[in-house]
Amino acid sequence: MDGGVGAEKDLKEAGAEALPVGRCGIRIKGWTIESCKRPILGSLALREWEEKLGTSHLPEMVFGESFLNLVHMESGIKIHFNAFDALKGWKQESLPPVEVPAAANWKFRSKPFQQIILDYDYTFTTPYSGSETIELNHEKPTSRDACHSPKWDDCEERIDVVALSSKEPILFYDEVILYEDELADNGISLLTVKVRVMPSCWFLLLRFWLRVDGVLMRLRDSRFYCVFSDDNDGRWPDVLRESCWREATIGSLSVLA
Amino acid sequence: MSDLDRQIEQLKRCEPLKESEVKALCLKAMEILVEEGNVQRVDAPVTICGDIHGQFYDMKELFKVGGDCPKTNYLFLGDFVDRGFYSVETFLLLLALKVRYPDRITLIRGNHESRQITQVYGFYDECLRKYGSVNVWRYCTDIFDYLSLSALIENKIFGVHGGLSPNITTLDQIRTIDRKQEVPHDGAMCDLLWSDPEDSVEGWGLSPRGAGYLFGANVVSSFNHSNNIDYICRAHQLVMEGYKWMFNNQIVTVWSAPNYCYRCGNVAAILELDENLNKQFRVFEAAPQEARGVPSKKPAPDYFL
Repeated sequence: MDGGVGAEKDLKEAGAEALPVGRCGIRIKGWTIESCKRPILGSLALREWEEKLGTSHLPEMVFGESFLNLVHMESGIKIHFNAFDALKGWKQESLPPVEVPAAANWKFRSKPFQQIILDYDYTFTTPYSGSETIELNHEKPTSRDACHSPKWDDCEERIDVVALSSKEPILFYDEVILYEDELADNGISLLTVKVRVMPSCWFLLLRFWLRVDGVLMRLRDSRFYCVFSDDNDGRWPDVLRESCWREATIGSLSVLA
Repeated sequence: MSDLDRQIEQLKRCEPLKESEVKALCLKAMEILVEEGNVQRVDAPVTICGDIHGQFYDMKELFKVGGDCPKTNYLFLGDFVDRGFYSVETFLLLLALKVRYPDRITLIRGNHESRQITQVYGFYDECLRKYGSVNVWRYCTDIFDYLSLSALIENKIFGVHGGLSPNITTLDQIRTIDRKQEVPHDGAMCDLLWSDPEDSVEGWGLSPRGAGYLFGANVVSSFNHSNNIDYICRAHQLVMEGYKWMFNNQIVTVWSAPNYCYRCGNVAAILELDENLNKQFRVFEAAPQEARGVPSKKPAPDYFL
């Protein structure tokens, strides 16, 4: 899972350069693409996040200082991926909890004298599909739209899977886990983002993956694709984003199998 | 050198035993474990360890920090297997030490010492991969049924993998459980291995999963008071700092798998108690890459779509 930049020769040919020592990423065709992988948050930081997010429950492993950033230097547009924004999405969506198979029997247990039933979404399902801002502190202040967040428009164009299947050299590759939870040994909930940068484009996949053992699987993917262009002076870059949500019960999947 | 000593040396090099040796070792272990109580008495000084999860080379770091068995007396709070790469070697080494030095190491059961859980989280697959059959998994999971459920150190510190149960108010109630079975899906035995303390709960909380108890400070206070114990020492939950006190020092979580799943970057801890039960936490980090025997390989970039 360790990422890194490709061969120096390939980078040179593509007019790209690795970020300076101590940082992980690449500069290419007007973009700075950088990943950072740090340990999970400690108890103190978790408490702060709980306060900020207004919850007393967070995933067991929050890689809160890890990120993936893609900055278009000319326009200052920054597309970035981080656990905090993803958990804001989780908090907002607040899906009802999913019962595990053992729950059926637990209903027959005698209730303890003092019992409350917790009802937060312990799967940490999030509609998160990335964050975007405009970085204003660049040497060249952007002339227009400076105070607006970039926005996404609906379009007919699709991600060019054929172009992505060609084996162009990968100049930079990384996968960053944003958060993960073992659902107390009842499955897995995992939010990751991975990126690959080629001489002609960059492509990334943000994936929320959930398996509740014996109950369901849920997948929420967002793919981002940007073809480098040589002449977009002052223009915003075109980035395509496609989202795909899938969900199935284990029961229905085992029938198929 | 006896066969057992030779096997211990072999396991310390992270080399698994032959299937026939595992079978014989498990039979001997069974004879020892069957005599232990559900609340196994442990004398101080003792060093208490939390989850290991098959991280063999990190367990070797643990022994470097805590000292070798039998020189150091150990209590392991369960979850020896699953998730890490070396559940087989990890569990067999602990079991061989148990057979060799039964009074110097105590192993109690975690929720991963179960047939059902190990089929999902790695131990089953690892046995199949390393032995080409599931016999070793069968021998080991049969032994899991004999592991004790909890420990009592000098009548003052209660050790358990998960936590408390609403069905249990006294230690004697634990002593009456028939533990020689697969971990049930509910009831007292299940709770001891699965439940968690929870700040936001007074009394008992039912997990949003619909199964699994959480318990609050007042539950711990009354349990400790009724049983005349100073505090509970448990494992089961990852803590970045290796250990974590809760509820005004009435319960502590000890976590002994550094850099959990080889990616969390957390430190681990063990709790050393001297003959007067004075506490010292020893915090340690994951084994350096070069000590792991396997060179670190950067996987080739992936043409994912």
